[in-house]
Amino acid sequence: MTATEAVHGRDAMADAVNAAKMATLGALAAGVAHELNTPMGALNSNHDVLKRALARLQHILADEVVEPSELNEVRRVVAAIHDVLQVNDLAVARMVELVNSLRTFGRPDRALIDRVDLRETLESALTLLAHRTRDRITVVRELEPIPPVQCYPQEIGQVVMNLLVNAIQAIDGAGTVTVRTRALESAVQIDVEDTGIGIPEEFLGRIFEPGFTTKGSRVGMGLGLLLTRQVVERHRGRIGVRSTSGKGSLFTVSLPHTLDSGGVP
Amino acid sequence: MPESYVPAVLIVDDEEMVLTALRSFLQLETSFRVLTTTSPAGALDVIRKDSVDVIVADFMMPAMDGIEFLKRARELRPHATRILLTGYADVQNAIRAINEAGLYHYLEKPWDNDRLLLVIRNGVERSSLVNELDSRISALEAANVELFEMRKRLIKAFL
Repeated sequence: MTATEAVHGRDAMADAVNAAKMATLGALAAGVAHELNTPMGALNSNHDVLKRALARLQHILADEVVEPSELNEVRRVVAAIHDVLQVNDLAVARMVELVNSLRTFGRPDRALIDRVDLRETLESALTLLAHRTRDRITVVRELEPIPPVQCYPQEIGQVVMNLLVNAIQAIDGAGTVTVRTRALESAVQIDVEDTGIGIPEEFLGRIFEPGFTTKGSRVGMGLGLLLTRQVVERHRGRIGVRSTSGKGSLFTVSLPHTLDSGGVP
Repeated sequence: MPESYVPAVLIVDDEEMVLTALRSFLQLETSFRVLTTTSPAGALDVIRKDSVDVIVADFMMPAMDGIEFLKRARELRPHATRILLTGYADVQNAIRAINEAGLYHYLEKPWDNDRLLLVIRNGVERSSLVNELDSRISALEAANVELFEMRKRLIKAFL
């Protein structure tokens, strides 16, 4: 492969990943909006409560004397202020986390290689998917300390998102998704395991093939898994799957610590 | 309703921050007893044990959605006013809530405090009127039974 071909190949993959990322963000938009709605609703109400509380205190202090009969009212107002400020801290923290996750996942810096802690990538994706897991899926985190890996963050972010979306889609009703990180000698490993419907044995060898999909059984995302494998292999990594029909699947991705000259163009 | 009676409002939402925001607001603006819980099953226990005038429920909750919860609450406390507070506003859910849970009002998140207060105050008033109507009907039925017995005694005495 010439240098020009390599650059074109790299651009085509970056475009494909970007298109997949935008499609994922679009699909997640309504859920993320709902996730923002709860802290925003609390902040909106609390802002109003603080204005009302201030008006009460100003009224009591208008004559610059607090009568003993007014002390209980002052205590009530101060208690309300205390409670809503505590909620505001939590609400703001949650909104910041969501917006940071959106920025991490959605930023268009596709040409930049960076060193990334994949535990943060997993957490960002899980934050964006929280509305899909909260009511029915338990997320178990077994995240061992791992060194940062050199990669294209947006592409690896899409790999992680694809695996998590597949795991969630594979679970009909209640279930568990387990995410693991593990430090290997010169690589890191991510596992995404679900207790979903699994993949029939006859399909296991074909799920990374172009155009393969099993829409009827809601396993995989067709282009999603093909692209996932291509991105991982471009990073000189490996992807594998083990699955038992009716019991669930385990996807394993390992990525080397560094991209040497033979790695991603 | 006796003058010393303090109406109770029960709020159920799986988000603690929503409960605290609503409780702080209602405690600042009203003298109502405000009961809160993140668990629909826990809320049903409260309804079994405590007299509740208004029930405000979130729609999306784990294990039991708000409409199913209000349906069960209705069986336990039919006179309590039921309000759904939802971030998932759509016509199908509104119709389902009205038909299945006898919904009084449907509010969307993020809510407006003035609107919420008006709906809850009206809900307390409605609940109080329904309770009063119920007790008057009971009194009328008791009086009717007494009159019937009296009529029977009169007939027996004079005929």
